Amino acid sequence: MALLQISEPGQSTKPHEHKFAIGIDLGTTNSLVASVRSGQSDTLPDADGGHLLPSVVQYTADGTVVGAQAKQNQIDDPHNTLSSIKRLMGRGVNELKSQFENLSAALPYEFAQTDSMVPKIKTVAGDKTAIEVSADILKALKLRGEKTLGDKLEGAVITVPAYFDDAQRQATKDAATLAGINVLRLLNEPTAAAVAYGLDSAAQGIVAVYDLGGGTFDISIMQLKKGVFEVLSTGGDSALGGDDFDHAIAEWIIKQADVKPTELSSSLLRVVLHEACKAKEALSVEEQVQINIEFAADKNWSGTLNRDELNSLIDPLIKKTLMSCRRALRDAEIEKDQVIDVVMVGGSTRALRVREQVADFFEAELKVDIDPDRVVAIGAAIQANALIGNDAEGNLLLMDVLPLSLGIETMGGLTEKIISRNTPIPVSRAQEFTTYKDGQTAMALHVVQGERELVDDCRSLAKFELRGFPPHVAGAARIRVTFQVDADGLLSVSAKEEISAVEASVEVKPSYGLQDSEIEAMLKASMEFAGDDKDARSLREQQVEADRVLEAIDSAMADDGEEMLSADEREKIQQVRSELAIARHNATATQELKEAMAKLEKVSAEYVARRMNASVQKTMAGHQVEEFNK
Amino acid sequence: MSNSIFKQNYFEIFSVPVSTAPNLKQLKEKNHQLQQQVHPDRFANSDAAQKREAMQITSLVNEAYNTLKVPVARLQYMLTLKGVDMDGETDTSMDGAFLMQQMELREEIADVKSQSDPLDVLDTLSGDLKNQAQNLVLAFADFYQQDELEKSREIVRKLQFINKAQKEVSDIIEQIEDELI
Repeated sequence: MALLQISEPGQSTKPHEHKFAIGIDLGTTNSLVASVRSGQSDTLPDADGGHLLPSVVQYTADGTVVGAQAKQNQIDDPHNTLSSIKRLMGRGVNELKSQFENLSAALPYEFAQTDSMVPKIKTVAGDKTAIEVSADILKALKLRGEKTLGDKLEGAVITVPAYFDDAQRQATKDAATLAGINVLRLLNEPTAAAVAYGLDSAAQGIVAVYDLGGGTFDISIMQLKKGVFEVLSTGGDSALGGDDFDHAIAEWIIKQADVKPTELSSSLLRVVLHEACKAKEALSVEEQVQINIEFAADKNWSGTLNRDELNSLIDPLIKKTLMSCRRALRDAEIEKDQVIDVVMVGGSTRALRVREQVADFFEAELKVDIDPDRVVAIGAAIQANALIGNDAEGNLLLMDVLPLSLGIETMGGLTEKIISRNTPIPVSRAQEFTTYKDGQTAMALHVVQGERELVDDCRSLAKFELRGFPPHVAGAARIRVTFQVDADGLLSVSAKEEISAVEASVEVKPSYGLQDSEIEAMLKASMEFAGDDKDARSLREQQVEADRVLEAIDSAMADDGEEMLSADEREKIQQVRSELAIARHNATATQELKEAMAKLEKVSAEYVARRMNASVQKTMAGHQVEEFNK
Repeated sequence: MSNSIFKQNYFEIFSVPVSTAPNLKQLKEKNHQLQQQVHPDRFANSDAAQKREAMQITSLVNEAYNTLKVPVARLQYMLTLKGVDMDGETDTSMDGAFLMQQMELREEIADVKSQSDPLDVLDTLSGDLKNQAQNLVLAFADFYQQDELEKSREIVRKLQFINKAQKEVSDIIEQIEDELI
């Protein structure tokens, strides 16, 4: 039916033909959704005009509360109100324990005992994984997108920290699936920021993007050139951000107040963290701040935190980020003086000390004129728009890299690197293995991610079991294993026995991720996808398509139906059109709707051809044929 | 862009002659051109098979670019074009003088931290290694031209040694600099 939508050359297409896609910045502290409208990318506000959606979800017996309201309820309901959940994405139970060791008390959640590799937090609405909580945030953002843009939403680009490993990326993608979002691409946050900044400033050359968010830090060294955004190297820490500043200040308060951390209730801990965050923000403006906390009815504490004290608390953390910057520069083989701009992204780059230290390090002025909170979502929306084919010039190209080396476990618990960090993606590498026993028909591969020599010091991604290749004597089989990383930075593994050309079956046991069966169970449990969610989704897509077809035929008929069609022809088309309109609302199966659309297409084929002829004649009127050969 | 790209060698993919010293700027520009056509983002609206093909072709282009860009990988690849596969080779004989030189170098790197200004020493070492590598690439070009494959191969082995030493030097520089921050 595309031919119905003919517009004159140079004229824009009709608004109802416009497709929308959204960019989502799923942040540790706040999340945003943006979209390109009338050629302009901007974040979408909620009904109250706020753009930031606090990444906080409260589970109650009556339902789920997301955003500002949930954030307000956090102090009163700390166990059921989950925040900074991004820090748990793709993390296993044991890892969380070590990661949060010194602030174990600062994680006020109760974890459920579970067989799953994925930690579950106890709430009144049942046990929740970080993936489910993130899905609830994503649903809220998607809803905001649909309310603003109508239901012609094609999909979303979702941003992740560049330094997210495979498990964390997969967890994010799983959350999107659970939220019913068609993921066009996972995009690295600094890359998204560079797109927004680069297109806005038309800068060309080497740019460093320093992205310090609530819970993650990324540094990307990029080359910008006429719509091409090439990541040369990336580095960071997926567990370092403004939250850690708050924790450092909170620990200082607790020490000053002479309170035992173990004696703090969850609510009181929330209060201390809240005050710490407030003090941090105030010190970007004030020289010093007064902090008052009521630890108990008879214990009021008040103290003063000044900038010097704050700096000494956060300097060690900033130093860690600068070490990553140095390594990223070295990996990119770039000298500091080649960097033309340092783009500051993420709410935590508002801290004056961060700006001071980063400017010192790069010996350069910083770009702080862009909104550090919104730039990532804006960039993501620009790419989303391009991916669905709305990019008129069609030359936006984002070339990204693998943030952390991928390797396999070899003898003695050592890692052998298969693909090194900062290799451009997508990338595939094949490696050959052989058997060590006569008649062996299966083997296991342990895939890890990280830079360290010992397997135990790297991130365990998955154990792959290859089965079903034919038996040979020891050492004779040649099993070729292909590691493929796609443009989202996600790994897949396939294996083939070379001599017999038998494809081995690969069974993946993710070390921390969800099993496919777990995701399925969650999807089924989710109200929105009750029943067979796949059919429901496909029917929904056909309904959208039917709406488009109906709009197209109506608008064409209104335009020139009278002059181009006889009364009989018009009636025939109208008849079939109403059949489709009815099917649009009543059809329960995709096939039914498809047939109705095909029928309309058939009866209007002649009409389409006439319109096309007319349009071509109109275009050519008054021109010489040669002009069109140019 | 079709399946035929899988039949081309890396130099052909990048439309440059087989050479030990391709024009890196030209390679980079060609890489951007190729990526504009084949990158999976160009096929976001295509069916699963086309998406998959785009991913495979882009993986190949990336691999080709990485190989041609890095001298040791480039030379090793040039050898495979003449039927010499160095992956997993067991014969690693090398001339004694070179090995002695390498051992001395390793010792120097090992106790660099006890020097009064280790960064200066490391910078000098790094410069020396770079020169050595450049000379080896020049020597390779001659041998390769004359089909002296065994000698070409030995040069690649030497280059691999030098690469490892360079990596060690830069790791130590990194360590020292991190301590200075």
